[in-house]
Amino acid sequence: MTAGPGLLATEGLVAGYTATDEVLKSVDLVVHDGEIVSIIGPNGAGKSTLLKVIAGLLVPRQGSVRLKGTPIHGRRPREISALGVAFVPQEQNVFPTMTVRENLEMGGYVEPRQSRDRIDAIFTRFSQLADKRRHAARTLSGGQRQILAMAMALMVEPVVLLLDEPSAGLAPGAAEKLFETIRAINQDGVAIAMVEQNALEALAIAHRGYILVDGRNSTSGPAPELARDPDVRRTFLGG
Amino acid sequence: MAGTILAVPAIGFTAIFAVLRFPNFTVAAHATIGAFAGYIANTALGLPAWAAVVVAFLVAGVSGVLNDTLVLRPLRPSGALTMAIAAIALNIALENVVRFVFGNDHRGYELALRRDWRLGSLRVGPQQVENFAIALVAMAAVFLFLAFTRTGKAMRAVADNPTLAGIKGIDADRVARLANLVGMGLAGIGGMLLGLDTSIDPLTGFRVILSVFAAAVVGGLGSIPGAVVGAVTIGVAEELSLLVLAPAYRTAIGFVAILIVLTLRPRGILGERAY
Repeated sequence: MTAGPGLLATEGLVAGYTATDEVLKSVDLVVHDGEIVSIIGPNGAGKSTLLKVIAGLLVPRQGSVRLKGTPIHGRRPREISALGVAFVPQEQNVFPTMTVRENLEMGGYVEPRQSRDRIDAIFTRFSQLADKRRHAARTLSGGQRQILAMAMALMVEPVVLLLDEPSAGLAPGAAEKLFETIRAINQDGVAIAMVEQNALEALAIAHRGYILVDGRNSTSGPAPELARDPDVRRTFLGG
Repeated sequence: MAGTILAVPAIGFTAIFAVLRFPNFTVAAHATIGAFAGYIANTALGLPAWAAVVVAFLVAGVSGVLNDTLVLRPLRPSGALTMAIAAIALNIALENVVRFVFGNDHRGYELALRRDWRLGSLRVGPQQVENFAIALVAMAAVFLFLAFTRTGKAMRAVADNPTLAGIKGIDADRVARLANLVGMGLAGIGGMLLGLDTSIDPLTGFRVILSVFAAAVVGGLGSIPGAVVGAVTIGVAEELSLLVLAPAYRTAIGFVAILIVLTLRPRGILGERAY
């Protein structure tokens, strides 16, 4: 699973929100076919910024983002989405006044012909969304909203799913269910790159992990090893 | 009925605000442009009122798209306040283009003279009923477009969450052009409906812009059902004000309504909902 150049790879990424700041100072990341990669680190390490650069919301100042070896950095978000990289933002990741069904339709906006079949498949898979299909997204609970956001991303049958802190603000029970859902999506063959504050849970379902500190790679390796590493536990996992 | 006619340009104004996030005051000039386009279609081409309304929609809508693309869009990075001020300036320019072409005279549509209908002690003009019906059809068409078409839903998505809409592959520029076409087209229909009720001149739109703005603010800026509720509220309040105030003070109703809403419920009656 870890051999080869990777499905998605970043190399030496430098990026920031203004002309002078550098949130990412040099980040390398590889996501292979069919794996879950967790990206963890302290606040301000650049984890979410990394996903925004990959999704095309920020243009890197230096470095590259490649999908199956082809450079995609600098392309517009919708082009990157059409190539199979689906980004689920941490907040404001649904259209609040639109119904659950309409949200899914917008999730599959670039591929309208498959929309009906895929919506049916999503309702079969996520019964909690099927029950609320005519409800406005703003009326959903936090956990349901995150499931909807992921389901919207699945509408384009992505090859890589980028999840930005999916469990943020969820109660422990809801977070646990969400991680189960993420694992199930991965078992269907979708590679996942996930930024998480909940580091132990994130490493528990991941194949590999990356730890970012101050916009640079700090440590990386198989997730179980990272979760056991005493230094990592002390610094990032609270003990 | 006055409220229903006011609702048409108010929906146009609020739809553009929902997508582009600035008050496009050229709604006033586009109401005038629509009124004159309908006038040409009616008097020169001999089209009946309902068909001339379609011409009013198209001419005002296309003008809205062109004006946004050529004049307002380049200013978008400067922010909403700059855009609003530019829209006021553009409105003055457009009004004067109409004045340059058609002059200052009041003009009337060529409509068949029809006897008023009597409903007990109430007298209703058939043209007023037709205007009311046209306004209802225009509003119903907008609702159906937003509720059931892919493009209409994309417009609501951009209004709801423009960043996410971009991530999902919705072309924000295309949606902005569409919002201008529909919004200014509705302003054009509104202008023509006002003209069918009375007469038209280069200030047709300017006279109602405060009421249109007040309707959108009262209902909740960016909310299309809110614009309807706001327009009916303002329309009825303006008519009732005639019982206690001189007609000259009628336009003050809009100001008072904006003051009350901004003080008591700044998000408007229905809040900020695109649809």
